[in-house]
Amino acid sequence: MTDPNTELEQVSSELRRQTLSIFGRSLHIRTVDTGSCAACESEIRLLAAPHYDLHRLGFFFTPAPRHADLLMVTGPAVRAADNLLLKAFEATPDPKAVIAVGACALGGVYTEDELVHGAVDRVLPVDVYVPGCPPSPLALLQGLLVAVDRLQSRVAALSLELDGGAPR
Amino acid sequence: MAFWFYRGLRRGIVTTRYPKGELDPWTRHLPTAPAFHPDRLTPELAQRLAVGCPAGAITTDGRELVVDLGRCTACGRCLELAGDAAAPSGESLLAAVERSDLIKRIPVAGR
Repeated sequence: MTDPNTELEQVSSELRRQTLSIFGRSLHIRTVDTGSCAACESEIRLLAAPHYDLHRLGFFFTPAPRHADLLMVTGPAVRAADNLLLKAFEATPDPKAVIAVGACALGGVYTEDELVHGAVDRVLPVDVYVPGCPPSPLALLQGLLVAVDRLQSRVAALSLELDGGAPR
Repeated sequence: MAFWFYRGLRRGIVTTRYPKGELDPWTRHLPTAPAFHPDRLTPELAQRLAVGCPAGAITTDGRELVVDLGRCTACGRCLELAGDAAAPSGESLLAAVERSDLIKRIPVAGR
């Protein structure tokens, strides 16, 4: 017999996935900077450039969280930015998703101390993690498509083990 | 790097084929997280890698090397330290739904 908690978790994650897939080809993105070095922002801005042309896929940037479906959060979650981050999250209408962008937002570079949380998921529930320092625009695009269930995340199957070559 | 520019001049389209087609060829030259040869990793080397990682992405208990792809900044210091035991993984599409999917364990099998 399956554990009711596990089952509930599976059902809730499936429901969440299906809800996000409703966004399909019209998703509005609000970027929130919690103290990043702006490298991630520079890559995010490139998404709207002709080479990546984010709009062909139905993703758009919006200047206000009230018009957004998805928050793209960069930076190591500086404690001074808690207020703005939570306000932006609360102002975003449901259903909403959060993407944590970059190594800082995922817990790298800055460890938790009195100034920073060190990772965005300590403040907000994160739906998709996009690693990289900074992640390339194509990596960000993949993150967005994974968030709306148009692509499958493939990192779980990735192995960092190399084979071949005789041991020394 | 500028292939898309020539392609754009030829076909009048500069936009990448991703996600319908393959990734652009220049993405091969992007810095990526490391991959390791388990047979060439010794406990001492694993320890040096853990100490040398400025982002805190590599930890070890002597039996396995734990690489957190989420923390990795692809700076390449581990590649310098590890010599022929490591090489760039070449994987830049790393979006994950579960944070734990980004944590990779590599056995330390060298003597």
